Amino acid sequence: MKSVYIISEKIICIASLVLAYSCNSFVEVELPKSQLTNTAVFEEFETADAAITDIYSSLRTRGILTGSGSGISNQLGNYADELISIEKPSNSSLFFYNNTLLPSNSQIALYWNTSYSQIYAANSIIEGVRKSSNLSNSQKNQLLAEAVFIRAILHFYLANLFGDVPYITVTDYKTNSTVRRTPVSKIYEFIIKDLSDAEPLLPANYDSSERVRPNKYSARAFLARVYLYNRSYSEASDSASAVINQSGLYELNMDLSKVFLIASSETIWQLQSGNAGTNTLEGSFFIFSSGPPSLVSLSSDLAESFSNGDMRRLNWIKPVGNSSATWYHANKYKEKNTTSSSKEYSILFRLAEMYLIRSEARAQQGDLIGAKEDLNKIRNRAGLPNSGAITKAEILNAIILERKWELFTEFGHRFFDLKRTGRLDTDLGYKIGWDTTDSLFPIPESELNTNPNLLPQNQGY
Amino acid sequence: MNIFSFFKGGKAFYCLLFTGFLLSFSPSAARNSLRRSTSSFQQHLVQGTVSDGTSPLPGVTISLKGNSKAAVISDYNGQFSISAGLLDTLVVSYLGFKTNYIPIKSRTKIDIVLQYDTTTLQEVKVNAGYYSVKESERTGSIARITSKDIETQPVTNVLATMQGRMAGVSITQTTGVPGGGFDIKIRGQNSIRSDANAPLYIIDGVPYSSDPIGSYYTGTTFPGLVSPLNNINTESIESIEVLKDADATAIYGSRGANGVVLITTKKGKKGKTTYSFSTSTGAGKVTRFLKLMNTTEYLGVRRQAFINDGLTQYGASDYDVNGTWDQNRYTNWQKELLGGTSQISDFQGSVTGGSETTQFLLSGNFHRETTVFPAEFVYKKGGSQFSLNHRSADTKFKLIFSASYNIQDNDQPSFDLTNDARTLPPNAPALYDSNGNLNWENGTWDNPLANLESKLESSTNDFLSNVMLSYEIANGLVLKSSFGFTNLSTKETRIVPSTMGNPMYNPSSSSSGIFSNNTDRKSWIIEPQITWTFQSGRSRYEFLAGSTFQNQNTTKFYLMGIGFPSNSLIYNIAAAKTVQVLLNDETLYKYQAFFGRINYNWDKKYILNLTARRDGSSRFGPGNQFATFGAIGAAWLFSNEEYLKNSWLSLGKLRSSYGITGNDQIGDYQFLNTYTTSGAIYNGITGLKPTRLFNSDFGWETNKKFEIALETGFFNDRILFSAAYYQNTSSNQLVGIPLPGSTGFTVIQSNLDATVQNKGVEFTLSTLNFQVGSFSWKTNLNLTTTLNKLLSFPGLESSTYKQQYRIGQPLNIQLMYKFEGLNTQTGIYQFEDTNKDGVISSPNDKQTVVNFNPKFFGGIQNQVNYKGFSLDFLFQFVKQKNTSYPMGSGGMMSNLQERMLDSWLTPQQLGNYQQYTTGYNSDAVMGDYLFSQSTGSVVDASFIRLKNIAISYNLPLNLKDTKCRIILQGQNLLTFTKYEDGDPEFIAYGFLPPLKVITAGLQLTF
Repeated sequence: MKSVYIISEKIICIASLVLAYSCNSFVEVELPKSQLTNTAVFEEFETADAAITDIYSSLRTRGILTGSGSGISNQLGNYADELISIEKPSNSSLFFYNNTLLPSNSQIALYWNTSYSQIYAANSIIEGVRKSSNLSNSQKNQLLAEAVFIRAILHFYLANLFGDVPYITVTDYKTNSTVRRTPVSKIYEFIIKDLSDAEPLLPANYDSSERVRPNKYSARAFLARVYLYNRSYSEASDSASAVINQSGLYELNMDLSKVFLIASSETIWQLQSGNAGTNTLEGSFFIFSSGPPSLVSLSSDLAESFSNGDMRRLNWIKPVGNSSATWYHANKYKEKNTTSSSKEYSILFRLAEMYLIRSEARAQQGDLIGAKEDLNKIRNRAGLPNSGAITKAEILNAIILERKWELFTEFGHRFFDLKRTGRLDTDLGYKIGWDTTDSLFPIPESELNTNPNLLPQNQGY
Repeated sequence: MNIFSFFKGGKAFYCLLFTGFLLSFSPSAARNSLRRSTSSFQQHLVQGTVSDGTSPLPGVTISLKGNSKAAVISDYNGQFSISAGLLDTLVVSYLGFKTNYIPIKSRTKIDIVLQYDTTTLQEVKVNAGYYSVKESERTGSIARITSKDIETQPVTNVLATMQGRMAGVSITQTTGVPGGGFDIKIRGQNSIRSDANAPLYIIDGVPYSSDPIGSYYTGTTFPGLVSPLNNINTESIESIEVLKDADATAIYGSRGANGVVLITTKKGKKGKTTYSFSTSTGAGKVTRFLKLMNTTEYLGVRRQAFINDGLTQYGASDYDVNGTWDQNRYTNWQKELLGGTSQISDFQGSVTGGSETTQFLLSGNFHRETTVFPAEFVYKKGGSQFSLNHRSADTKFKLIFSASYNIQDNDQPSFDLTNDARTLPPNAPALYDSNGNLNWENGTWDNPLANLESKLESSTNDFLSNVMLSYEIANGLVLKSSFGFTNLSTKETRIVPSTMGNPMYNPSSSSSGIFSNNTDRKSWIIEPQITWTFQSGRSRYEFLAGSTFQNQNTTKFYLMGIGFPSNSLIYNIAAAKTVQVLLNDETLYKYQAFFGRINYNWDKKYILNLTARRDGSSRFGPGNQFATFGAIGAAWLFSNEEYLKNSWLSLGKLRSSYGITGNDQIGDYQFLNTYTTSGAIYNGITGLKPTRLFNSDFGWETNKKFEIALETGFFNDRILFSAAYYQNTSSNQLVGIPLPGSTGFTVIQSNLDATVQNKGVEFTLSTLNFQVGSFSWKTNLNLTTTLNKLLSFPGLESSTYKQQYRIGQPLNIQLMYKFEGLNTQTGIYQFEDTNKDGVISSPNDKQTVVNFNPKFFGGIQNQVNYKGFSLDFLFQFVKQKNTSYPMGSGGMMSNLQERMLDSWLTPQQLGNYQQYTTGYNSDAVMGDYLFSQSTGSVVDASFIRLKNIAISYNLPLNLKDTKCRIILQGQNLLTFTKYEDGDPEFIAYGFLPPLKVITAGLQLTF
């Protein structure tokens, strides 16, 4: 048996040699090269800045505000009365066009999830910047203000599409996963608070000639819209004035064909198109050069509703025909493909809307003369004579019509206008699939399944 | 039916057939001149015949005791002659027969009758990873198939070879497109995370990562990301062992929870250099199509839908009914788009040989396969393997080297046409116009063939090598180490050329795009080990201690290029107007472990096996990196007890095991709070985005496994039966917990205090039904019943899993609406309003539990041999439920199952299905959607399938040492099922079902 012991000793010796070589540090790894720790991102302005610009490119390509077919410029156009969807199994717009959305609709879930992921990114910046020890105060202010601005605009669209939705201001998933719905009125309060906080911190001038990051007046312009939707007319009128009065910065473009160009003087905030030479997603989605169109076309009712001599019809709508029929497409953005250098960016706020907001706010407050003055400014620019509307109701009607012609296929303005003025059922009732409850989208089914605090589902779904 | 096509791959086949034919007529080649020259004056020639009592046995090795160099092999007639001394002893050995020792005793003519040795099965050494164990003495649960089972199957994926052949192993094909994948579950789903149930794959001792190498940007053809398992050449596999229970898997610690698949490649054989070639060619077609409507039926449905919706006019874009398209045209789109024949050809060659101390094997293979799509797409796969074994003359030093290099080249449409084939209206226009160009019918449809312009090209190079060095320092004490290295590189491109678009819209190459994915994965592993075996009296001890150092580095580089001056430059990304880097990433996975085993065997009766492993993985945050796993296994071989020896019971074993294994399949770096470059540029700045919701505290998932099994053999193992009961419990589940979108993300990595139990019973039965002369018939049966159950889940009600799981139910359930038939008045489907609120909505009314776990599954394999003929066939069966294929609500511009003709028309004219709608009737659209989520859509998807059949015949060549075999193989030839919506194996929406394949081949060995 002695040899056994000798051998055992050998084993122990060799085994300990092998084992001794190993140590815990072997399984520790460095960060992968495509990642940066959270803290490191907010130690330098360049990386923190990259975090915020990423949200802008995300807004441009995904979710509610993308100009592609999945964004609301197209889908709400179908949902209301601006666009016509071609029947085809592959056409996701059909459910919007037929007003037969289901809680399981993937597009709806995408609006919800993408918006909240963009809101998360904004909140993450707000928290990161506040904790940062390295950024200067002015850098901090700019980043904070832009992040808050983004958070506000996303909640604005969510509330208008889904009704009561959670207003998310932190990144903690434990809080956010059991969150309850915030009443729309409360959401407006939060949005106004966020925007009022952001406005003074934002610079008056744009950081570049391209107006692709919001400035002080972008916040004001947005506030004007929020106040109008919230029926705070005097604030709406004041905010719109604050933007209109910046005549050095903003001016209505008298040549309608140039309104949507990059350097347009009427642009308040636009989303840059990414790589050089790329143009807008709106352009590449809406434009077709021969009929029939592959997915959607502009409703001929809309195209034919323009008054004679309305230059917008000539400049912003293009008919495309073949031997048997004619179709129309929105031609505000005229570039379908890439060009040698980019010509158009997706415009979120422009001056014409400010005139229409002030006009409506003034009319609501009884300032009919002022209201018509603003309204006519837009009409005259389109080559139309002054409005013949006289009473307040007539003027308000004229404004809604004017908005239809001025703002069609721009981020669902038409649908929101009908909704906030209570005209949905009268104006869209002709659609077979329309129900009163269609004024709100369904809360995504996946969301209700994972957070029962959001129950009940919106009416009608 | 034109199943066989010899146009392309057939040439090689003819060639070989011809050679074989010539050889069989050449008697001169049969003479063994070598044999005569070696006879010396001291020796004399012994001649004779070897038989099994009734028929001659070719290929039997006859050697001399103590001098294995002087070996000869019996010829086709069983005859042999060998020169030997007068007092030598012949050693006659043949696989499957008892080795015979025959003293020559001065005879010159000896006829030998060999006895079948059925008990050799018990002696088979089973690979258990770090050690091997005799089949009869194993304490763990290990299923096994060998090259014999693999060779009969015309498949290219390693998982496909196992389908239906192993108890407890459930394998599902996910697409019929070549280069696609398979799902495997060993003893059920352990982890709530559906992507964390992959077993650990080990090839010749080297872990082979099955993490996907494809990218969502490029691999759009496949239902999931492409797994690298296709790279493994099935023909080079000697055996596949699947380790199932704790005793077998605990030595793999954290990676053993879902089982371990051990792949052993073929090794060289000593003896004269043997050449072997085989070639086969064949054809494949889709197994089953859906029964869809023809034009008259379809248009009738459409018109009725307009009537139902109260529409008096067809819309401008309703081309199918409004007269734009020919109302009499009929195309069977399934036949048109998926009805092609896939041409398959395969070629292999190998050479092996060696001396007593050194053996080698070199083999090469090439496989080519086209698709059933209506265009030329080719999947090519080729490779070579080399293996070298050496031992020193004193047998103390041993070296095993193996290396393989495999190349895959897959050219596929980037779009699976299956969904189009099922939904296109039957009167949709012709695919080509009179000039042979794609027909766009004035822009009224999207020609499905345009999708074929968008192509996926994928090429994968995979190098794998392993060296195992071992040295016996002292008697029974062996020091060894394995060194493994893998290098996998994938290049994939997907082009989206403007030619996909309707030319009416003047698409130009400025909108053409290309996506590329370059993924490289390198890994090395070193596993020093020490083993010590010694016998003391009736006790036998085996000790094993070792450690593992593994490092795996994956780099991914995804690019996108858009806008080309011309489509002919589309593969030159440098010519793109804009180039964007979508991902440039490098991830590192490091892994370290110590493991050990103690095995005690008393008189081959009582066996105790202890295994343990301590693991560290870089996938966990500081403080959570290490964990310990282990198992105990025991076996009692009661057939070796004196009182049962030499009885009808040839094997009797009771074994049991219990242990803990883990699971670290969560992806790398999940514990870090980071930002990632998004690749998107805005205002000249490349964006950074939050990578994930982070949780630094998650740790190992543990899986406790218990098993008890009985293994028996009767009548010299003519009947072998085993039954195993297992019960696995996974807790501390490591999952991506689904989150509401309001958190900004949809999942977070975390340990969940939920417990999942998998239990089941596995039976295997192997019988030698007949053994008369040269006729034999064997049957193997395996049957598995499984029960998967969520045991506990504190806080399920308030968790995000509320609508996914139920305590006491399997994981693979769905909560569904309860279907209550048709409302005869409205003609809309009705469902139970569970919460009585007047609306059918999720989640409150979606509460009926439907179990989609297979109840049982298994296979029956039969092998019949008669002289040179052999027939091998396998039936696979699965008892399961599934949902019917969702085709949308009838009446829209999309074809339907023929059975949906029976729809509700009026309250007086009822039908089985609800009323049609063009899409305007919200209630009907909703009703259809709810139906697809309801118990109404659940149908029996059980099936019995003739998974594999192989007939082979050994040509009666009048040649020594030359074998020529003709083989006919079939895969998925027959399917018996009640399932009406195509192939029952899977219903992944819009993906090509598995193919049935027939091949004919020839094997030549000399």
